[in-house]
Amino acid sequence: MKTVVRLGAGSGFWGDALDPAVELVERGELDYLGMDYLAELTMALLQRQRQRKPDEGYIPDLVPHMTALLPLARDQGTRIVCNGGGANPRAGAERVRRVARDLGLAGTRVALVEGDDMLDRLDELTAAGIALTNTDTGEEDFGAIRDRVVAANVYTDCTGIIAALQADAHVVVAGRVSDNALFVGPIMHEFGWRHEPEYTDRICAAITVGHVVECAAAATGGMSSRFAEMPHMGRVGFPFVEFRADGSAVVSKLPGTGGRVDQFTIKEHLVYEVANPADYRMPDGIADFTRLELTETGPDRVRITGMGGKPPPEMLRVVIGYQDGWIGEAMAFFPWPDALARAEKARETMLERFDRMGLVADEVQFDYIGVNMLHGPAAPTAECDLNEVGLRVAVHTETREEAEKVRRACSNLWIMGPGGTSFGTPIKTRPVVAAWPTLVPRHVVRQQVEILEA
Amino acid sequence: MRLLRDIAYVRSGDKGDTASFGIIAKEPAHYPEIVRNVTPQRVQALYADWSKGPVEVYRMDNIEAVMVVMRRGLGGGATRTLRLDQTGKSLGHALLRLRLDEP
Repeated sequence: MKTVVRLGAGSGFWGDALDPAVELVERGELDYLGMDYLAELTMALLQRQRQRKPDEGYIPDLVPHMTALLPLARDQGTRIVCNGGGANPRAGAERVRRVARDLGLAGTRVALVEGDDMLDRLDELTAAGIALTNTDTGEEDFGAIRDRVVAANVYTDCTGIIAALQADAHVVVAGRVSDNALFVGPIMHEFGWRHEPEYTDRICAAITVGHVVECAAAATGGMSSRFAEMPHMGRVGFPFVEFRADGSAVVSKLPGTGGRVDQFTIKEHLVYEVANPADYRMPDGIADFTRLELTETGPDRVRITGMGGKPPPEMLRVVIGYQDGWIGEAMAFFPWPDALARAEKARETMLERFDRMGLVADEVQFDYIGVNMLHGPAAPTAECDLNEVGLRVAVHTETREEAEKVRRACSNLWIMGPGGTSFGTPIKTRPVVAAWPTLVPRHVVRQQVEILEA
Repeated sequence: MRLLRDIAYVRSGDKGDTASFGIIAKEPAHYPEIVRNVTPQRVQALYADWSKGPVEVYRMDNIEAVMVVMRRGLGGGATRTLRLDQTGKSLGHALLRLRLDEP
């Protein structure tokens, strides 16, 4: 049995760069490459794709990514674990098998992990007395949105991934597993750990480390407050982990790559998208980030010790996506002098246009770009005559037709607007798939694994 | 007048309709001042009606950081919000405007 497992992070989101992943597989001597593609927003987009075309809904980047990575990974003995199946893991896994065949990599074993899709089981769950209460808003009336539901995915634990690795998969294609399960699964598999009390702290250590690296360059200088100090971010190195059987780990990146790994970049990611840091609730365990220690042990090397936590929670998080009307959005821009006054006049004109058009909207929001668009009420008043100001308006409506009125009202500003009014490219009206987060007991979730051989 | 930006960095993100901001001390010595100043009441006052609340603050003594969690703080969550900053990546930076109490 290994004493150290080497795992690289090959993707932090759908749209991430491929070259740092290629470098990691070429030079990282990795046992595993974990690739995270999914976010709540991403799942909604993929669900819409699957609605239009039933054989889509996986991450389209799987094709170029696996085309580049599979030959290298097979050659290096690195196994790839990804959630690129998105809203359609079966179609994604089939597509990866075809990539392997086209590359002449016969015998490549692609594991399909399913079981996160709860869409066809919602009525069964409610009939069993599971309330599906909205955990963000406290709303209890799931029935009010039931007929508008387009997707429901549970964040699953790593048991499917472990089963896939036990079945000698070279590539694992999963759907909505928890992001860090992409790392927890391989670690538990290599060390033979089970979801039992004696392994809890070490599994929580794997969750913690998975959390640190799952957004790839976000732990190596990306998204940093110390952006000015981060060298060559355009050729940033993605992180890799040396995870030890004792539940400690070193996070590092390859020599010669851009970015940085130090105590600060690790701290920055430890606090990313976390609520109570002593209760980081994941399907494989509840990690406690408040007792670990960070030590810099060399250039771009940080050791993490003292990690731990509690056993897995009884309830698992489900995100239900439902159709919730339309958003119409528009922008116009105004020059110095008196740029803000021009934008304010344009806002007044837009409101008059909305009135004349009889706009029916349940929410209308105006922002002044350059003044308060990003920070809203927390932004102070502008203290000088700004060089330029933009006006942004966004509305939420029941129908597409109502949302389209925003674009029309904005284009009316071409001549009704103040002198100097200018425009960018119009923004498309878009349908909303809103999220209804909820919980289900873990015993209702069943994962299945199937090996597709190229 | 000193601001939180003088002693802290921020990493900002989302989870559903919850905005979460990690506030990290620039130097360990600054940590107690961060804990003293970053309170739910002051965060709520700063973000006004963009934070429907409640606001929670958690300490991380081991890495000299605090987590600020703003429930119902993203205008309905990434896909539903009318804000341009759909995932709250920018939102937490406003917290650096917080005025520090005079020691």
